[in-house]
Amino acid sequence: MSNAPHILVIDDEPQILRAIRTILTEKQFRVTTASRGEEGLTVAAANQPDLIILDLGLPDMDGVEVCRRLREWTQTPIIILSVRDSERDKVAALDQGADDYLTKPFSIEELLARVRVALRHSARTQGTEAKVVKAGPLTIDLAWHIVKRGDEEVKLTATEYKLLAYLAANHGRVLTHQSILTHVWDPADADHTEYLRVYMRQLRKKLEADPERPQYILTEPGIGYRFIADE
Amino acid sequence: MQSFSLLSRLWQYLLAFLLIASITAIFFVLRDVLDTTLVALLYLIPLGLITALWGLGPGITSAVITFFTFNYFFIRPYYTFTVHRPADVVILVVFLVVAVVISQLVGRAQAGLAAATAREREATQLYELSTALTGLHDDHAIAQILARQVHAVARGEYVELNVTGTRSFAFHFPETDRPTRPTDLTVPIESARGLLGEIRLWRTAPAVSAGERRLFQTFASQGALALERAWLAQAESRAQVLEESDRLKSAILSSVSHELRTPLSTIKAAASSLRGREVGWDSPARAELIAAIDDEADHLNLLVGNLLDMSRIESGALKPKREWNILSEIVGSVLTRMKYLAEGHQIRVEVPESLPLLPVDYVQMEQVFTNLVSNSLKYAPAKTLVCIRARVEDESIHVQVSNQGPQIPSEDLERIFDKFYRIAAADRVTGTGLGLSICKGIVEAHDGRIWAENLPDGLAFNFTLPVAWDGVKPPQLPMDTEAE
Repeated sequence: MSNAPHILVIDDEPQILRAIRTILTEKQFRVTTASRGEEGLTVAAANQPDLIILDLGLPDMDGVEVCRRLREWTQTPIIILSVRDSERDKVAALDQGADDYLTKPFSIEELLARVRVALRHSARTQGTEAKVVKAGPLTIDLAWHIVKRGDEEVKLTATEYKLLAYLAANHGRVLTHQSILTHVWDPADADHTEYLRVYMRQLRKKLEADPERPQYILTEPGIGYRFIADE
Repeated sequence: MQSFSLLSRLWQYLLAFLLIASITAIFFVLRDVLDTTLVALLYLIPLGLITALWGLGPGITSAVITFFTFNYFFIRPYYTFTVHRPADVVILVVFLVVAVVISQLVGRAQAGLAAATAREREATQLYELSTALTGLHDDHAIAQILARQVHAVARGEYVELNVTGTRSFAFHFPETDRPTRPTDLTVPIESARGLLGEIRLWRTAPAVSAGERRLFQTFASQGALALERAWLAQAESRAQVLEESDRLKSAILSSVSHELRTPLSTIKAAASSLRGREVGWDSPARAELIAAIDDEADHLNLLVGNLLDMSRIESGALKPKREWNILSEIVGSVLTRMKYLAEGHQIRVEVPESLPLLPVDYVQMEQVFTNLVSNSLKYAPAKTLVCIRARVEDESIHVQVSNQGPQIPSEDLERIFDKFYRIAAADRVTGTGLGLSICKGIVEAHDGRIWAENLPDGLAFNFTLPVAWDGVKPPQLPMDTEAE
């Protein structure tokens, strides 16, 4: 039990805390809860959790601020919870270093999937990095810069490859427009979401069976993109 | 102004003297043929004329002067003021009396006429003011007209109008800086309920007369009436808006409580039966009940989302976060999400890739397509075709979502975008009646237009979106073609 990942949940709604705690405990996680931002920061410092689930709408302080203060000293993955229509806050929190987000109301499958991806990603950044990412028929070899669909190699332009490699290396996680643009292009291009739109369309055309209904390169409306790889 | 008036008075006297002098000269030449009494009679003509033309002052003065010239030039012994014949004394005395009386009579008539003219002018000015103020429901416009009218009638230099109290504002005319010296006339704008403000007039000369003061007081009370009327009308229309929004709120409440209770009842029934012992662990009913809870929770979430969107549109808080987007990507992601809902229908998408990038809010545009498609799926019979088309048309993109569902009476084609409008035969369909009005709100926030039309075999929703973003055309993108 002591090896079970420790999750800190910061949310001011007792019902949500109750539900999440029940499910996560059932799934063999250790769970600590906090209902205020300050309390959450203290508990995080004292307990060093493996993952933090943070609600953006806290009574005492802005969730984005909590996120920023956590990132000052820890790289523990943070998953934010928020209500619909607060894309701006979500993007702000993600750009402050949060790893992923969930929109309330969410299903438990979604929550567990995000938790798994975040824990795996943090383990990966601490240890060895996956060199090959597989997604359905796609194989992306990040060491050799080779992309295959089935057995056939897919020809990508330099920018297309850079984009795909960034998505694949972070598979399962949401990547904001800004983070993709600054990584793949240049910090000066952070506003040019149109580049993203067009290059994503090209990538989908080369990689997806139906580019209009993609299975691997998913759009997160108003936030960014997410690459879905095999587990 | 005052010096000008004094000068004109002087001129009147001077002209009167000149007239008397020339008449006297004419009589003097004809002295030998004219009888003294005749001269006296003839003198009365210019006297009457002078009074009529220039008023009582010059008239009386001329009468006295004429009395002396008559005596000096025409009554023997000539060139003296001495009178020998008693008859001449009588003539002289009668002449003076008649001359003064005539002057006074004519003068009084003149003054009466002038007063009547002044009164008529005042009446006209008042009439003009009240005509200009009639039908005005804007207090600023009323103040403006009042100030301009006072300025015009007073021939003032500067007029300032202050409205005090909760709606205080000021208006001045002309558009120059206010004179630094104190005002020459201040008239309060008063109504039965108290002081509303004041009119301040700057005019150096002539000094403001009592008559003018009275006139401007009348102006001020006309203004007070107009202002009160305007404020009453405003209050009334505010009350109407409030009443309207009250009605809307109760419509929302009744619709919402009904719509929310339906999924809640399902959830409650399913959850409580799962909790009890009625449903066995392996019973297929169990999976069904769980699915029902999940579906209805989603439905509830959708309803709440619609309500939030509507209130955001109502309050004007719906500001699109525009970015250059690809329409086919938006349509694709909507259809992916609606895959299960759309299973019973055929969906055809004709959104060419060659369309320019569109400056739209991705999330809001998804909402528009979601609502239009789900509306089509709800009303059109199963297995029929739902078609999404888009094409460039002039400076905009025209999008059409059509279905083979029932047509709508042409008089209702516009009303379906109203809040809570549901077509009569909609009993079998659930929804808040907000979907289409949300579409309308979003499309209009994007400077577009939305409308519905009946097709030979169904119904189509159309909307247009401008291609340019604040006048900027869609960007041409830097492309790299070299392969890795």
